[in-house]
Amino acid sequence: MEYLVFQILPYITITIFVLGVMYRLGKWASARIVHNIVLTPAPDTVSGAAVNYVAEVGLFRSLFKGDKSLWAGAWLMHFALLNIIGGHIVGFAFLGEQFKFIGTSPELSKQLSDILGTSMGILIFVTLIYLLYRRLSITEVKHVSNPADYLLLFLLLSIVTAGNLMRLMPEYSIHYETAQAYIIQLATFQPVELHQSNILFTLHLLLVQLMLIVFPFSKLMHLFGMFAERWIINRPYVEPAPGLPGAKAGATTNTANVVSGGKTTSGGV
Amino acid sequence: MAENKYKAPGKANDSEMRALFIDPVPDDRKVEEALKHLKYLVEKYRPLMLAMESCTKCGHCAENCHTYLGTKDPNNIPTNRADLFRKAWKAAYTVEGKLFGGLVGAEPLSLDTINKMYSYFYQCNECRRCALVCPFGIDTCEVTFAGRQLLHWLGMVPKLQASVGAAMYRTGNHTGLPKPGLVDTCEFLEEEIVDETGVDIKIPVDKPESDVLYIPSSADFLLNPNTMMGAAKFFHYLGVNWTMSSEIAEAGNFGLLFDQRHTMRHNTMRLLNEAVKLGVKKIVWGECGHGWRTGKMYVPSMADRPIPVPIVHLHDETSHYIRTGQLKLNPEANNHPTTLHDPCNFGRACNLSEKLREVLTPCVSDFREMTPNRERNFCCGGGSAILYDDPVMYDLRIKFSAKKAEQVRATGIDQNGDGYLVAPCSICKAQLYPMVEEHKLGVEVKGLIDLVGTALYPPINE
Ligand code: SF4
Ligand code: SF4
Ligand code: SF4
Repeated sequence: MEYLVFQILPYITITIFVLGVMYRLGKWASARIVHNIVLTPAPDTVSGAAVNYVAEVGLFRSLFKGDKSLWAGAWLMHFALLNIIGGHIVGFAFLGEQFKFIGTSPELSKQLSDILGTSMGILIFVTLIYLLYRRLSITEVKHVSNPADYLLLFLLLSIVTAGNLMRLMPEYSIHYETAQAYIIQLATFQPVELHQSNILFTLHLLLVQLMLIVFPFSKLMHLFGMFAERWIINRPYVEPAPGLPGAKAGATTNTANVVSGGKTTSGGV
Repeated sequence: MAENKYKAPGKANDSEMRALFIDPVPDDRKVEEALKHLKYLVEKYRPLMLAMESCTKCGHCAENCHTYLGTKDPNNIPTNRADLFRKAWKAAYTVEGKLFGGLVGAEPLSLDTINKMYSYFYQCNECRRCALVCPFGIDTCEVTFAGRQLLHWLGMVPKLQASVGAAMYRTGNHTGLPKPGLVDTCEFLEEEIVDETGVDIKIPVDKPESDVLYIPSSADFLLNPNTMMGAAKFFHYLGVNWTMSSEIAEAGNFGLLFDQRHTMRHNTMRLLNEAVKLGVKKIVWGECGHGWRTGKMYVPSMADRPIPVPIVHLHDETSHYIRTGQLKLNPEANNHPTTLHDPCNFGRACNLSEKLREVLTPCVSDFREMTPNRERNFCCGGGSAILYDDPVMYDLRIKFSAKKAEQVRATGIDQNGDGYLVAPCSICKAQLYPMVEEHKLGVEVKGLIDLVGTALYPPINE
């Protein structure tokens, strides 16, 4: 079992994940943006559109304007998630000592990492529970949910629970060094060494891989969907110049500056 | 009969469909044909593809769609409307749908679903409020558009849309008015203007050597004559050499609403041909929401050749001349408590919200915003011309406008029975006339240019 989860499955997972995502994105890319369907009010400059784009993608602005509690749940969940993913990466890379670079001692850095990791773990757990509660309790959300929507939430909750338990129960925790060594062995196609049997860690890793396998075939693709859809509707729009030819009353007939038919400045329709 | 299970507008019959160059597909071949069209459409249009594949089912769009608010029918929740396509798409063309079926929300297409599509794609106002509120910006309109396209190819189009489409092919406008009818009406309206203001103002049709081609909504000839007269007054005031064309006396483009291919392109080319024939320097679009959305967003991509002259909206121009202080407007001429209904097409697809206010405020003495307004406004319930008169659909229409009635009432303009509800869109007007009656609001529905006209040339007898 452990041999499978630690040694074999990761390669299968990565392959499915990468090829699957490429397949889906390729399918999206081959569909075209035929018409210009900018959502207005739209700014008339590229920088204005860029601000909107970032506000939507980074802060979920539309959601904020419409539903504060869903926004809080969703944004905080994603915030914690990004921190956790980032934490895993720098943790593996710098063994928890990354804060050295901003002047802390290695010990303090490790402590900080622990505090951050634990609090983000709890935050994501709480927000996921809220999202699940919402899905179960609000009539409209229940109406639109598929079984898969609940299953994905349970999957994420299980991953997070296993991760949190590893943090909170020292006998199940994994040292940075062990994790780093494991990643290196995997990446260099060496046999991995398993010193201790840790059921929580095995479970955590198994579920994460399960998530990566279903990722390209699920709504988790909304990660890319966000960028792709916003790219279509949050664009700048340049209005044709006003002014009627031949109008009296000192009208400015600005023929030099007319824009035929209103293309977006990015011209991508 | 399965067909009657769902509320739906009366369908065009076979010969009416042939008038639109469509040979209706018989029931036993519908599913098979629909699946082909479905694949074609989803794989062609990226916004549609994204609607199929990246909705998280967060449910935020539900209470933001007035059709759901008015009916509480879960099928009117935007993402559920999209599910009519999504389920079939998943079942037929995705790995997860083939492997896990209903678990991931896949369901093979059936004739029943096609009938359900006919019902619920024609209960969507294509108002884009769902796109505004969706965290990803998923535009359920795109699904409705594609859905209606597919139904059109199967030969399933409501009588209303089909007959308007056919009238357009025949006469160049939706009301089916031939040229003599247009000219007569214009002469009649010219007399009206003289009676009202004492000024001789022309409403020209097919006038050679004109600078500006004005594209009115054909409803303005008969149903909203004040809008036509308002536009004439505005052009006259500025001394613009303008004309309308009997070949294309229509701002609307029902291609947007049921056939974004042939019908939409046909109307587009009709317009561009006429602009070249008349040799005009600018095209100015009248008060029609979906029509201007088409003019702005679809004409550039549907045109078969470069667009010869700039195309703008009437209120791009009125607001420009007001901003530059070139119109002398008398707000006392419109001495009524007034509110503005932002046509959703103008607010969410045409960048016009602010301009409408720039125009309206100096024309009236008492302007009150409704809430929500601008791009957050709710649709009137008639959007995409679901203006059906048969009792079942009429009842739905009135339900869809419940939110609107509530908004108007909250402004208090109806209290003395003399309020003005301004709606610069033909379809909004056609929807709001009965809405005002049914919900017993003490307001009169007005176009925006109507009020500009009265503020420019106050009636002499007042
Ligand atoms: S708001 Fe957008 S993501 Fe949420 S359910 Fe509606 S369409 Fe799907
Ligand atoms: S376009 Fe308007 S009517 Fe249609 S689903 Fe979206 S919000 Fe509802
Ligand atoms: S009819 Fe009017 S309010 Fe309704 S969709 Fe058109 S523009 Fe929107």
